[in-house]
Amino acid sequence: MNVFVQTLGFGVVSASIIAVGAMGFTIQFGLTNVLNLSFGGVMTVSAFVAYLTEQSGINIWLCLVLGGVAGAVLTIFLGRTVFKVYARRGTRLFEMVMVTLALGLVIEYAVDAVSRDQIYSLSFPEGASYHIGAATLTESQLIIVGIGIAVFVGLERLLHMTRLGKALRAMAVDPGLARSCGIPTNRIVNATWLISGFLCGVAGVIYVLNALSVSYTTGVIFLPSIIAAAILGGVGSPRGAVLAALMLGLVTQLVAAAGFSAYSSIAAFGVLVVVLLSRPSGVLSAAARKVELTL
Amino acid sequence: MGHFSFYLSTLVVYFGIDLLSAWSLNLQYGYAGVINFAFIVFQAAGAYVAGAVVLGPDTGPNSYEHYILGARLPFPLPLLAGALAGAVLSAVIGLFAVRRIRRDYQAAVMLIVSLILLQVVGNDVHIFNGQNGITGIPRPLQTALGLSLPDYQWVYALWVLAICVVLYVVVERLSRSSWGRSLRAIRDQEDAAAALGLNGTLLRLEVFIVGGAIAGLSGALLVEFIGAWSPGAWGYAETFVIFTALLVGGVGNNRGMLLGTLIVPIIVLEAPSFLPTIGYPGLIDAIEWMIVGLAWMGFLLVRPRGLLPERRFRAPRPAAGVGARHGLAGWVARTFTLGRPELAPVAPVAPAIGVVAPGRASNGEATAPVSPAVPPAGARSGTVGSEEQ
Amino acid sequence: MRLRPHRRSPSAGIISLVGVAALCVAVFGSFTAASAVRSTNAKGPLNEAIVIAYTGPVSFEGLAADGGVYPGVSEINAAGGINGHKVNIVPVDTKGDPADAVPLVDKLIATTSNLIGASGIGTASAPTEVPILNSAGVTMMTFAGETAFNRSHYKYLWRLLPPDDANGKAMDLYAKSKGYKRVATVFGTTTGAQGDLPGVLSGLKGTGEKLVAKITLTPNQPSYRAEVEKLIAANPQVIFTEQNATTAVTFFSELKSLGHLIQAIGTNALVTSSWENAVRKAMGRSTFKRVLTVLSTSAPHKTPANAAYARALATVKSKVGSPWTQWEGNSHSQAAYDGVIVQALAMTAAHSVTPKVYNTHIMAVTEPGAGKTVVYTYAAGVRALKAGKKIQYYGAGGPIVFDKYHNSFGNQEAMKISTHDNTIPIATIPEKEIQALG
Repeated sequence: MNVFVQTLGFGVVSASIIAVGAMGFTIQFGLTNVLNLSFGGVMTVSAFVAYLTEQSGINIWLCLVLGGVAGAVLTIFLGRTVFKVYARRGTRLFEMVMVTLALGLVIEYAVDAVSRDQIYSLSFPEGASYHIGAATLTESQLIIVGIGIAVFVGLERLLHMTRLGKALRAMAVDPGLARSCGIPTNRIVNATWLISGFLCGVAGVIYVLNALSVSYTTGVIFLPSIIAAAILGGVGSPRGAVLAALMLGLVTQLVAAAGFSAYSSIAAFGVLVVVLLSRPSGVLSAAARKVELTL
Repeated sequence: MGHFSFYLSTLVVYFGIDLLSAWSLNLQYGYAGVINFAFIVFQAAGAYVAGAVVLGPDTGPNSYEHYILGARLPFPLPLLAGALAGAVLSAVIGLFAVRRIRRDYQAAVMLIVSLILLQVVGNDVHIFNGQNGITGIPRPLQTALGLSLPDYQWVYALWVLAICVVLYVVVERLSRSSWGRSLRAIRDQEDAAAALGLNGTLLRLEVFIVGGAIAGLSGALLVEFIGAWSPGAWGYAETFVIFTALLVGGVGNNRGMLLGTLIVPIIVLEAPSFLPTIGYPGLIDAIEWMIVGLAWMGFLLVRPRGLLPERRFRAPRPAAGVGARHGLAGWVARTFTLGRPELAPVAPVAPAIGVVAPGRASNGEATAPVSPAVPPAGARSGTVGSEEQ
Repeated sequence: MRLRPHRRSPSAGIISLVGVAALCVAVFGSFTAASAVRSTNAKGPLNEAIVIAYTGPVSFEGLAADGGVYPGVSEINAAGGINGHKVNIVPVDTKGDPADAVPLVDKLIATTSNLIGASGIGTASAPTEVPILNSAGVTMMTFAGETAFNRSHYKYLWRLLPPDDANGKAMDLYAKSKGYKRVATVFGTTTGAQGDLPGVLSGLKGTGEKLVAKITLTPNQPSYRAEVEKLIAANPQVIFTEQNATTAVTFFSELKSLGHLIQAIGTNALVTSSWENAVRKAMGRSTFKRVLTVLSTSAPHKTPANAAYARALATVKSKVGSPWTQWEGNSHSQAAYDGVIVQALAMTAAHSVTPKVYNTHIMAVTEPGAGKTVVYTYAAGVRALKAGKKIQYYGAGGPIVFDKYHNSFGNQEAMKISTHDNTIPIATIPEKEIQALG
């Protein structure tokens, strides 16, 4: 029983990391309809920014902010330049996926070239251990869970209690109508790039905060879980993404605890397959109507 | 010169294998619009199985590696086993991956499949010997032929090219058959095609399995040549190389693949090994991958239909009968009894809906819009390029 | 929209493909007849290749090979080259991927004149490369740990390090000598780890230690808490381990945060600066030195050969992986260095730089024997050979004694790693004991 509770604790930690990334991914995808596979590359860049700030002795909170800002800046840059150029050329949804994957490859290997193909380790102190029921978590793990919760609450408030949030939701449902209602769609898209990019960056930083090392493959390793959570939770829904992330985090840890660590990562995929097979309508809901790139 | 000929024979073998890969992917993506970002997985499946069924059981002299399916099948059964492995794995993955979901979802799911399977096979040493992979696979008939290694390599290169010729006939006929036209119809206008009685999911599954079998065959040919297979050989980025060859050569054009394959995997990826090493070890490798990614992005932007664009054909008969005879089995029966279908260039007139595949509406070129619902590219600055699925 | 003026026959593609095939055969088939014999005409500089992974998951092997081959070649050139020829180095990055390695090796053979030998031939893709190089008649000096080469019959393949399973057995013997009774294995599923683990497990049967947990780590996960808990629950006294740096950092950090950082015995693959730095940072400086012991092949005492290697290494410090001092005590680098020197001495003894000729002289310059002059450097070896003496080269990695399968074993050593990445020997595990373990 204790092992089970402990596993739940670790599951929540893993889930928090996935959730932050998945929330960023899902609002970006929900609004722009770009299924952005270069998300992992941006996470890696942010993780390296966090590494560099940590090396210069700046504290962990500033690392988080700087990593997030790096993600936001890179994302809006790519959104306003690369993605927009392709959208203007009439690139369709599924061809856009290919663009984002190619872009991801370019970013990944650019980081590889700059980082000289090396692994860098960070020395964030893990801090004291705390006992919560039968589970033992370290201070940094609690911080990760805290960040996950804070991001979720903040995003929910933003979406449901501000004018920007209202405009975001309106545009996600019908960009054409939103535009004719006088919503400045261009600015909303920019805001989406910034917010999702920031979350992407934060996810990269808390990933290395937990794993304590970073290399050019960091983002790619982590990307499948994030996409799975975003698709599973329903595109454009932070709540869904968080629930899906919890499910993935727990399943992954339970499978590992049961002694099948080689298969723990396949769990994420298995859950996704089950969803695709059993309730394709959940996945199709967004696809049932006409879908456009909104850039 | 003799040794250069030796190197050249290797390049010919790789060219042939990459060509098979490109044709397989072209069937799936070019004709049916299935973005198979897991392509390399099916090649790997063919390679692993073809290797294991030659190696014999993993006991005795092979006890230093662990793998499943150990057997000693004579040539050419391992090749068939490899193709079968590719087909079976395609059928399993295709069952959920080619359903009628948004194509961008489909692509993402395939990518996840590729990443996850690589992890599982790499981490579980009991499937195909984990990270070390399977090694020591003998080259087929090498002792029986009694040739020196350079001569044998040329024989093998010819063997691969012969298979390429056969496969070329097969994929060309497939693509010109009513089955191939049905694929293009569901690719461009699934709703209209469905109204004519075409089952999009079934067609996609069929093409996925056919492509998977060719991929498996290419993997089997590769593993019999190099004698080893491990996770290092099938990273997700390898799928990129073939996709880039497809884009460069011209999506939907099997002859364009000759050009694309020559340029991307052979010239772009082999040439850097002739350059002097610069910087730290690995820098050239990283730059190579960036070039592949940029080439992909560049071609999509500047020449989305590739160097040799897809040719367009008009169906010889009116649309009514298509639905009744779209099945693969029907195609096989017809092709080998009635000869190949009639082909004719398409005139720039409004095509009969659903049957004629008017190329891609995706780019700025003067192709007729597929559907009236699609706004002309660049019509509005904010929202462009749409897709109904 | 363009109209095609002509309808091309659909069979044109087939015909052109057949044409290409026929052309290939006609033009290049004619060269194959002449390709049977590799001739090293020995004009201009000689080329020594390093065939190994510089990128990918086993890139540490490439750096280790550089750390030995560059000093070796530098020493040879400083002593006037081989039979009057200077030696160049041709690095070939196999990326640890057999599919990438084959064309690269073929190209190396095809385009390199005066190719005298190949060093490195690392663990991941050696089984693919060795048959090709062997049939091309290129002498190989390898440190590939594959058990498959324990009884190999490749004429041109020479292995200077014991196989991975011997390293694993030495770990067992060292643990036994320290009096540990309860042991656990914690291995990543990486290439090298797969080689050592079978050795550790089979050795445990002979040493009588009890295996209380066998833990496998999937590399590069963000957390290994479940595995760490499992390890702590089994309560071992010592762990045997090999995993890549990313994995090790996460694993040891978590083990430490739960206060259970027990003694760890690592394989020789852990002896690289990038691994050491990453894990040292995770464990803390003093803890790292206290907790970790690695087992590796090494020369037991400071010999003149060690000193010669260190001197040669210093002359190429800008060409090898930084920091250059880390290679001095690295068994892989020592083996690579010895391999190059042995080749050069065999060439001198054979009066030929052609692998076909000098390959048969290799054992003559390494085997101990009565009346032989023991030499520790290339220059001394050349002097002795010129004076008509028979020699035994005593390497930087200790004496080199090839068995009939061209394998040289040797003692293993337990070592600590200093804060400057130097190895500090603390105990020797004799070759005989390892072999006796079965």
